[in-house]
Amino acid sequence: MNYATSIQTTGIVALPPWRSRMLFVALLLGLCGLVVRAVYLQGIHNDFLQQKGDARYGRVVDINAHRGMITDRYGEPLAISTPVESIWVSPQDVDATSQQVKQLAQVLGMNVEEVKNRLFDTSHDFVYLKRQLPPEQAEKVVKLEMAGVSSRHEYRRYYPGADMTAHLLGFTDVDDNGQEGMELALQDKLGGKAGSERVIKDRRGHTVEDVASIRAPKPGSDLALSLDSKMQYMAFREIKLAVEQHHAKAGSIVVLDAKSGEVLALANWPSYNPNNRAKVELKAMRNHAVTDLFEPGSTMKPFTVATALETGKVTPQTRINTENGVFMVGGRKIHDTHPEPSLTVSQVIQVSSNVGAAKMALSMTPETFWHSLSEVGFGAQTGSDFPGEASGKLRDYKKWQPIEQANIAFGNGISVNLLQLARAYTVFANDGDLKPVTLLRQDAPPAGKKVFSQTTAQEVRAMLELVVQPGGTAPLAQINGYRVAGKTGTAHKVEGGHYVNKYVASFVGMAPASNPRLIVAVMLDEPGGDQYYGGQVAAPVFSNVMGSALRLLNVPNDAPLGNVLMPPAEIIREEA
Amino acid sequence: MRVASLNAHRTVMAEYDEMLTWFVLALLSIGLVMVYSASIATAEESKFTGFHPTYYLIRHGMFILVGLVSGVMAFQVPVQTWQKLAPYLFLLGVALLVLVLIPGVGRSVNGSRRWLSLFVINLQPSELMKLFAVLYAADYTVRKGIVKHTFVKAFLPMFAVMVLVGSLLLTEPDMGAFVVICAIALCTLWLGGFNLKVFGGLVFALPLAFAALILSSPYRMQRVVGFMDPWSDPYGKGYQLSHALIAFGRGEWFGVGLGGSVEKLFYLPEAHTDFLLAVIAEELGFVGVCAVIILFGGLLIRAFAIGRQAAFLDRQFAALLAQGIAVWLGVQAMINSGVNMGVLPTKGLTLPFLSFGGSGVVVNCIAAAILLRIDWESRRMMRGLPI
Repeated sequence: MNYATSIQTTGIVALPPWRSRMLFVALLLGLCGLVVRAVYLQGIHNDFLQQKGDARYGRVVDINAHRGMITDRYGEPLAISTPVESIWVSPQDVDATSQQVKQLAQVLGMNVEEVKNRLFDTSHDFVYLKRQLPPEQAEKVVKLEMAGVSSRHEYRRYYPGADMTAHLLGFTDVDDNGQEGMELALQDKLGGKAGSERVIKDRRGHTVEDVASIRAPKPGSDLALSLDSKMQYMAFREIKLAVEQHHAKAGSIVVLDAKSGEVLALANWPSYNPNNRAKVELKAMRNHAVTDLFEPGSTMKPFTVATALETGKVTPQTRINTENGVFMVGGRKIHDTHPEPSLTVSQVIQVSSNVGAAKMALSMTPETFWHSLSEVGFGAQTGSDFPGEASGKLRDYKKWQPIEQANIAFGNGISVNLLQLARAYTVFANDGDLKPVTLLRQDAPPAGKKVFSQTTAQEVRAMLELVVQPGGTAPLAQINGYRVAGKTGTAHKVEGGHYVNKYVASFVGMAPASNPRLIVAVMLDEPGGDQYYGGQVAAPVFSNVMGSALRLLNVPNDAPLGNVLMPPAEIIREEA
Repeated sequence: MRVASLNAHRTVMAEYDEMLTWFVLALLSIGLVMVYSASIATAEESKFTGFHPTYYLIRHGMFILVGLVSGVMAFQVPVQTWQKLAPYLFLLGVALLVLVLIPGVGRSVNGSRRWLSLFVINLQPSELMKLFAVLYAADYTVRKGIVKHTFVKAFLPMFAVMVLVGSLLLTEPDMGAFVVICAIALCTLWLGGFNLKVFGGLVFALPLAFAALILSSPYRMQRVVGFMDPWSDPYGKGYQLSHALIAFGRGEWFGVGLGGSVEKLFYLPEAHTDFLLAVIAEELGFVGVCAVIILFGGLLIRAFAIGRQAAFLDRQFAALLAQGIAVWLGVQAMINSGVNMGVLPTKGLTLPFLSFGGSGVVVNCIAAAILLRIDWESRRMMRGLPI
């Protein structure tokens, strides 16, 4: 072989083959060692390693539960969760031209500068560009196909009734939790339970794989309120109109089912649109009817009279010396707007005599009077479970001075909320039974609590009918075709511990008086015009709402049509 | 003789080593698929790649193409020519290693100055140097005739040259290439019949030298500590390794399926280069890892067989060259796998034929072509045909 000699082999005679074999075996053993190591890692030690892996990129993510719908008593939706999209950005991944930024800002309806700031805010891994967009708009954003810009599913609450039902329903926050009103009160049932899911996420936080659903989300239940949305609309419209017409600071109205105590309507003005809370004033968000207290004034008198009747000391026909309208108690004067030498018990209610009511109150022991007021629910929450409900003030009778007892007789020195007051009137509508008040639809009328005897309740109801008759303080509360029983109130407001010439005008009434179906309570805070008496400003609201509501419910007439009789107007005046 | 026994069932002996060719093509193919799989997510999300998911696939495909063409070209070069060129190539390699250290010429990535920018491609001289070192060591051993047993004459010049190359590589730093080149030099000396006693001394001395090197640099120290217990600081020093190990654990026997790796989704850095085997382990499981190791084993078997065949034919240079290439590819594959599996400290070595990287793939292809050329020449000689 020529070849072997042609290359330089200056010293090597032959390469020792055993060395080659040894090296070869060593290398193969190395490879075998690696196979063994792979068996250990992949077949034996793998559980530990997988567990470590899970700790790195396995995540438990919440799945939002669909929030239950709130409906009125007939299933009409009042609050619905609609799917929306939130646009978010991972600034590290953004690579946008100024043209793209401009387009994005245009689609989102945002300022170009602001969009730019958020897009390039590399100090955060996650920045919301805009939350709760309608799906169509979010789709346009996604179609821009910008790196680092993504969208995620959320729910947004929508209130078809807007300002009409705002106070009652309240609202949810951006994470769909109830913050106010029934949304808050019913959070546990509406909110359901968020589910969770085990997923694998890549290092940038994108979900790569759904590993297992640990807990399926439990959607919230749909809940039916006791509300009647048609009645709610009428009540809202009328109270808004009255507040505007009488330049009042605020107004509230409550409509109760007299038999079951269900709230059929509850509205306030001023109100706000819960679907767009960007510029809502805090005072517009107050649910005056439940969370605010006022001195009820003369609307308290029926309870004074009922207690007096119950003690057996008077009958509706008992004459009471009304002292020509001025009565001194403990050095303080009690006035009547219509001074009379004497009035029957019925007339005390009809013309709203403070002196008469005070005398009746003083004829009882403080304990009897206090007990009776406490029994009809004053000084305590109504049990409506509405968040932030005010309980009202009814001082302990042991601390009462005679003047205080006299004042409470015509609704001064005691404070109530409108819902509480309306509920108290269920005793007159139900022959002495007090009904629990509720905001949720009831399948059967709940049992009441006996407070007054049937006779007493019916006698007071008869007196309350006189109030709307010519000669009473509220002829404007009359309704064509129905008998009405009710009571006006015009209370001075207390400011800094003194009564001032600002008023709360109210009217609480029921109809049809022969067998009451509904109770409507109206309250106007500081009517600003010439008219400020309950009989002038609150009674017409009552009449309009009650009339429409009775016709809506097809309640049979209990009076001939054309029963409305209008007297000369001055009798309407009353204070307290 | 062994070649003949391996191909015993064939009646006509093939012109070239088909098995070796298939092993190499299989490794290149697995590499192409896995580089794509490992890089797709990072490529899609990265500004650097222009958000093209196929960024690395296209480049790696082109590298393989260039590698195959280079291989075909290298196959045309007689072994004798390689031997003649060996010293000059080695000098060229040293020159490139010096160039890469000059600021403005060499390009630095992740704190390592390893790349030369040559118009369109980045050349990694240390990859070339591995081939040149094999050539040089083989040539040196044959020329000097180590059989003479004189330590001074036989060993010191080689030692000096290796110290020079080693210090250049460590300045980059490229510890991995340094280790591979040391292994090549030592093994070639060993194969060349170098004095056993001196060799024994070296085998003791070298680990000490390595230990000193590691302890002298906090950067290397850190990597060693991370490898000892990756779970003591899994988010710091042990980050890379712990994710590689998790990938192995997730893969189990049959893997999570091609494309199913989670580790490649930004958790495991260098998924398409140094830690490609971890992605293979996760997606293809033990079966995939085993396939890669078996292919490398096959490659070693063939390379050593070719080497011994050449030795049998008294072609000492070719024999040393073939086995030197075997040591190079085998040791590099083993170190890379060992790093991936947490039995060796992190080095920054790629998996030959598989990992993404132009210089590496092309030089590996040339090495395979040289193996095939040696074998082809041996077959011709055995048939008495001219080369």
